Amino acid sequence: MIYKRSELGDNIGFTTIIDEKFKTCSLAVFFLTELSDDTAAVNTLATSILSTSSSRYRSYAALTEKLSELYGAGLGSAARKKGNAQILSLKASWLDSRYAIDGEDIGGEMRELFKDCLFSPNAENGAFDEDSFAIAKKDLLDRIDSELNQKRGYALSQAAKIAYRGEPAECTGYGSKEAALSATPEDAFRAYCELMKTAQIEIYYVTPREDDSFAEMFRSSFGSTERCPKAVKVRDHSPLKPEVETFSEEFDVSQCKAVMAFKTDSDDIYALKMLSLIYGELPFSKLFLNVREKMSLCYYCTSHSVSAKGSFFVDCGVERSNIEKAKAEIMAQLEEIKQGNITDMEMEGSLMALDNAVLQVGDTPSSYIGWYFDCFCDGETITPEEHFRRFTEVTRERIVEAAKSLKPDSIYLMLNKEVKG
Amino acid sequence: MKKEILTSSRTGDSCIHVKHSSGLDIYICEMNGFSSIEALIGTKYGSVNNIFKNAADSDYTTVPEGIAHFLEHKLFENEDCGVFELYAKTGASCNAFTSFDKTCYLFSCSKNYEENLKILLEFVQKPYFTKENVDKEMGIIGQEIKMTNDNPEWRVFFNMLRGMYHAHPIKIDIAGTVESIAQIDADLLYKCYDSFYNLNNMVLSIAGNISADKVLEICDKYLKPSADKGLETVFPEEPAGIVTSEVAEKLPVGSSIFHFGYKCTPSEGAQRLKDVAAASTAAALLTDPALPMCERLLKEETINSTFDGEVFYGSDYFTVFFAGESDRPHEVKKALIAEIDRLITEGIREKDFQRIKKTAYGVMIRGLNNVEAVANLMLSAHMDGTGPYDAIEVLSDLTCADVIDYMRRELRPDRSVLSVIEKEA
Repeated sequence: MIYKRSELGDNIGFTTIIDEKFKTCSLAVFFLTELSDDTAAVNTLATSILSTSSSRYRSYAALTEKLSELYGAGLGSAARKKGNAQILSLKASWLDSRYAIDGEDIGGEMRELFKDCLFSPNAENGAFDEDSFAIAKKDLLDRIDSELNQKRGYALSQAAKIAYRGEPAECTGYGSKEAALSATPEDAFRAYCELMKTAQIEIYYVTPREDDSFAEMFRSSFGSTERCPKAVKVRDHSPLKPEVETFSEEFDVSQCKAVMAFKTDSDDIYALKMLSLIYGELPFSKLFLNVREKMSLCYYCTSHSVSAKGSFFVDCGVERSNIEKAKAEIMAQLEEIKQGNITDMEMEGSLMALDNAVLQVGDTPSSYIGWYFDCFCDGETITPEEHFRRFTEVTRERIVEAAKSLKPDSIYLMLNKEVKG
Repeated sequence: MKKEILTSSRTGDSCIHVKHSSGLDIYICEMNGFSSIEALIGTKYGSVNNIFKNAADSDYTTVPEGIAHFLEHKLFENEDCGVFELYAKTGASCNAFTSFDKTCYLFSCSKNYEENLKILLEFVQKPYFTKENVDKEMGIIGQEIKMTNDNPEWRVFFNMLRGMYHAHPIKIDIAGTVESIAQIDADLLYKCYDSFYNLNNMVLSIAGNISADKVLEICDKYLKPSADKGLETVFPEEPAGIVTSEVAEKLPVGSSIFHFGYKCTPSEGAQRLKDVAAASTAAALLTDPALPMCERLLKEETINSTFDGEVFYGSDYFTVFFAGESDRPHEVKKALIAEIDRLITEGIREKDFQRIKKTAYGVMIRGLNNVEAVANLMLSAHMDGTGPYDAIEVLSDLTCADVIDYMRRELRPDRSVLSVIEKEA
């Protein structure tokens, strides 16, 4: 594998990863900007429209037709959050041209198509094309409405809203319904222009062979784009609430959900991750072995650390009558770690799991892109091997300290409707 | 032991198939340059296989719904410790799943694959069921059932199947119900295990950074020879027609969702591969945003970009269905029926047909780019009675006439079911 990164312009990074084992090429452009309820929805709409039409392919139908002619090449957009930042992306992937049955230059065609989508959008007189905008708007509104369809995801999203109330991270990565409803094609186009001007931009190109043509295309195209990038603070510890807040909602569901949010002032991200592995991420973690296997209370009971926000979550699906029992056991297992009750098997097994996971970075184009973009957001580009080495230095004492740093902040409960006699 | 090399003439990819002396079919794909290894061992035993007999049995055994899935959970415990504990020592990520017609156990790793494979082969050949460990699992699976009950995508899909199938157990939830699993005990689990977990009924698939010789050496050492017991599974007789054309349910959802499906004639082996290619191409054409019907529905905001088509098939069942979010699912149904009628009457434009074929070809090549996908492909193809690269060949031979013929024969309005999950008031 060959890794190369260069600066194409003011806060525009371009990374090429050459790995000859792949049969496909992948391209991703990330925009990193401040997360705000005022702009999240219009930013999402702007990047969404870029993936559905362009000045050359002026409708979703025309663009889809072209992509399918190129052996089902993929083009899509995404919006998510990390800490206090909104991350928007435009991504494409396609078959390497050596697999083209009719000898087409798939890569060359995709380069021109992507260039057109990003730099010559389907817009006139300061507004996106109305039809393209309408499709993107409906998609976003339906996505927001359908949050409730996935109960676990909805519960975690609600828990984050409560834990981060009053902070930028309170907002979802794609914006609110109210903001999406009031957005116009003009607003979305202004958001596009603002992203091109002020966002930090990172581009990744994974290819099986040396190919500078994409870097040249971006260098040349961004050369005529006005840039005035704004710094984005991704990491920002969320303050602990003065008192633990419990928020509950009732729905006509079979299974209740409980999400417990903790806050930490620790910056020891490696110890916090090891804590989470030992506590609740693996099938031999304490929550799995006790809350699920020993007490049969849950099918899932897991933890995860959100280092960018200094927060930590435990979530489970449980009977209403067993919520308090589950919460008590979740706290009891955390107490076990605070007391230093961590076995050799838990330490070694967690490290082995990490070792296996980091070694798999590079087996798919998306894992390369995900790895190096996460490094960029964290402010330090390291190899997966170095990342693992840092975990090997985490001692039991550091894990105990990380556990002691967790303070209960808030609890979200999705309850089923009680039958009233 | 019989060994053969299977090669795709179109891509140059190849893998090894071995009929092992133990009775197990083994597929191995060495993938140079990749770090990870994916291995699955699967049995042709899923939620639909509830009536069966071995050659030595005088009569068929009928078992409770959800038992294949229950067995999958319990095989993760052996007499000395849990399987997860064994994998904790190697760092592998292990898992299992039960579908309608198979149960698979798998691991993914980038180190110690020899030890991981040994654990996999040993634990699937060493069941340990007791009253205590069976009782303990009831609560866990009960929660899993409740979790899936709250999943509207799952509900809309099963409601569609219940609208289609009168008797076939495909309409029953894979995990069963809280009531049905309460009838399961250790003896029943052993009965099912002894029948379906015979190596003659199973397949091992492993891909990635491996040595085929090493894999076979481990198999030679740890596979216990199995005598073929002449396992026979049967399904209740299923009429060709549907039960009801519409099923609607109100649930706490943020957006209404639908499945609109056609009950089609089931097929096997090579014929099924042809049917899948024709049905998939029809589904892709009918959900193609580049074509007027889909473009119109998007513009009218009747559908959004989640609209998609799928082919779902297995032992004695076959459906083609369309799914998405919509407040006007009846309009989607009407549009689909009209469009199928139009395509049958007017034909498919060659240009569109070739685009859809190219897309399907691209998807298949992409699958060969991924260790996990290759391991799954080899296993699924074997279970379907085909080779891993056969689908690419069948696709290249597919014609417009095949697709039109399939639509005329199988996408019949009188065999269609609309299932809708509506928002609660």
